[in-house]
Amino acid sequence: MASVKLTNVKKIYDNKVVAVHDFNLDIKDKEFVVFVGPSGCGKSTTLRMVAGLEEISEGTVEIDGEVVNDLQPKDRNIAMVFQNYALYPHMTVYDNIAFSLRLQKLPEDVIYNKVTNAAEILGITDYLMRKPRALSGGQRQRVAIGRAMVRDSKVFLMDEPLSNLDAKLRNQMRAEIILLRQKLNTTFIYVTHDQTEAMTLGDRIVIMKDGYIMQVGTPTEVFEMPENLFVAEFIGAPKMNIMHTELSCENGKYYVHPFGARLPVEGDKGAKLNELRVPGKQIILGVRPEHIQLAKEAGPNTIPVKLEVNEMMGSELHLHVYTEDGTRLIVRVPTIDLDPEQRNSLVQGAALNITFGGKVMHFFDKETEHNILLP
Amino acid sequence: MKTRKSLPSGIVMLIVAACLIAVCAPLILWIRHAAAMDSASFMETCQTIVHRIAHPFPIDPDHMGAVLLTILMLLLLAIAVVLVIVAVINLLRGPRDEQSRHMGLRTANAISNTAIHILLVVISVIWLLPFIFIVLQSFRVESTYQVGYIIPEKWGFDNYVSIFSAGSNFPRWYLNTFIMALATAVLQTVIVLCMSYTLSRFRFKMRKPLMKFMLVLGMFPGILGMIILYRILSDLGLTQAHAVPGLILVYVASSGMGYYVSKGFFDTIPKSLDEAARVDGATRAQVLFKIILPLSKPIVIYTILTAFMAPWGDFVFAKYASMNNQLGMNVAVGMNTWLATPSMLFANYTKFCAGGVVVAIPVVILFMCLQRYYVEGVTGGAVKG
Repeated sequence: MASVKLTNVKKIYDNKVVAVHDFNLDIKDKEFVVFVGPSGCGKSTTLRMVAGLEEISEGTVEIDGEVVNDLQPKDRNIAMVFQNYALYPHMTVYDNIAFSLRLQKLPEDVIYNKVTNAAEILGITDYLMRKPRALSGGQRQRVAIGRAMVRDSKVFLMDEPLSNLDAKLRNQMRAEIILLRQKLNTTFIYVTHDQTEAMTLGDRIVIMKDGYIMQVGTPTEVFEMPENLFVAEFIGAPKMNIMHTELSCENGKYYVHPFGARLPVEGDKGAKLNELRVPGKQIILGVRPEHIQLAKEAGPNTIPVKLEVNEMMGSELHLHVYTEDGTRLIVRVPTIDLDPEQRNSLVQGAALNITFGGKVMHFFDKETEHNILLP
Repeated sequence: MKTRKSLPSGIVMLIVAACLIAVCAPLILWIRHAAAMDSASFMETCQTIVHRIAHPFPIDPDHMGAVLLTILMLLLLAIAVVLVIVAVINLLRGPRDEQSRHMGLRTANAISNTAIHILLVVISVIWLLPFIFIVLQSFRVESTYQVGYIIPEKWGFDNYVSIFSAGSNFPRWYLNTFIMALATAVLQTVIVLCMSYTLSRFRFKMRKPLMKFMLVLGMFPGILGMIILYRILSDLGLTQAHAVPGLILVYVASSGMGYYVSKGFFDTIPKSLDEAARVDGATRAQVLFKIILPLSKPIVIYTILTAFMAPWGDFVFAKYASMNNQLGMNVAVGMNTWLATPSMLFANYTKFCAGGVVVAIPVVILFMCLQRYYVEGVTGGAVKG
């Protein structure tokens, strides 16, 4: 149980490629922090620097107030779960889990208790005498987690632990990691490229791109107030719709004009724009698919679109539509909102009208792609 | 489908061609040999071919060669015939329904399997003959010189007793060789494995240039350095009667350069295993001994065997370093002194065979002990494949 502090951490590889730029983050004791980003964004590198598997080119990493830059992984008191499990194939599951405890020269009865206890929590008691090769992917992942669990380490690091599992197993293991976290009650750093995992697991999410931190915040913060266009598009599935449009100001009231429509900005967002005295200008407008509605008929605040693809997801429909100028948008409609007649009319090429409310808009600067409401 | 059908018959035809060439060569030799003989001795040779192999019967070495060639030729001819039959079956097999084609394939497979096994048996017989010959000769007590037959008339342990009797230097040579081979096997294995692990896992400056340098250095024959090495050893007082430590030094010195095979093997072990172990609290050395080496058993065994075999069979440098001093010789050099002149060859030939058998024993034991660890596929289940 410990805090982790990264100050100006930089990773420069031998070939002068900078993988991580000036990474600053303060992870509190018992916090669950998720690093998320597309592949190659430096999230795994950062985690491996905390683990001591990669050298830190510049800056410092502190665990519990102690600078660990020059400490070997074994001296950092951390536990780590790898993406590819990394089980020792010549040892049984029991020996795999007991490996670190034996290195600590603990008495065998203590080891036995710890291993069986961990196995019980993970539900792998029946496989303790098997070799990893005789286990399925999910079981192997449990063993890998068990191996990390028994160490009672200060920080628990997980490097994409679920990405090798199939979708169903992944959902199941995600729930188990939440339970595990409650039982272990320690500091977690979790790396993933899957925004769903990040949103469901993290107390705080660190969104990264090309070695830079794009935003740090709770799942609610990053979802409702993305700092920039990248975060807005990355978080949320299906991703946020982007429209290049104009923001205009008339008598203190703001309007946006996507594709010829005229939609007022309402609520907090309008007030905030007023407060910041944002002038009327070209902006990038973001609206999440679930915030767009189908309008019954055309009007001044609707956008005419044509339906391209209708994806039936069960509880909802994802409608891929395109506007007159060819911009593609996604509309997410709960199935329950549609009567059967309406549902049947949603075929390829159908003409629809869409609209969205003024409270759900996100405004980004055209040049900097920064959220206009967060100066 | 067409390629699947034509490919096996193509290979079969190739094998047939190779066999025919293999048969023709000894045949020509044999005919030339037979033409040189008069008709009576030729007839005699033909009549007693089988008889002579089984019974001790002095024939001159030329005839012996003719007999062996005949056997070899007949066996190869048999294989060629079988393969021709397989090829004909393959060619005749026209389009048929699924069931019968399946049966036809099975028959063809069975025939080609049989043919391949026969070929392998023949090769192994050819391979084993010298060894069997030496073992049988070592038990021959009726004479000590070379003879023209294989199975001894009188059996006994006289040769073995004589090499281990008082006054014989053989035990000394044997001990010398054993010490050298054992020391080299231990030291060289440790050095090679450490070197391979280092080159496989660590990234340091000059790593690539070092590997290239060693590759180029390895292209020079070691014998080039023999004279200068002898000077160094003689300055250190490690030649002649004290050649053993000197030779160990020479055998072990360059062992770091034999890293290729084991480095290649280590490279196939996922790095995340090292990382997991290091996070689990292992030092680099513990990673090597507890994770990497148990996973690399085949390559460790290979390293031990090659390290043991090299000094065990060394002749050139061992002869040079011992400089005719009986106390510093290894078995190969020492036994060679038994056959130095034709008269000694006459007196020591069976003793030499017995020595050869004794020399082979530790190597055979080593192979038998280590072979069962030689299992592959131990890395299964380590990481997601």
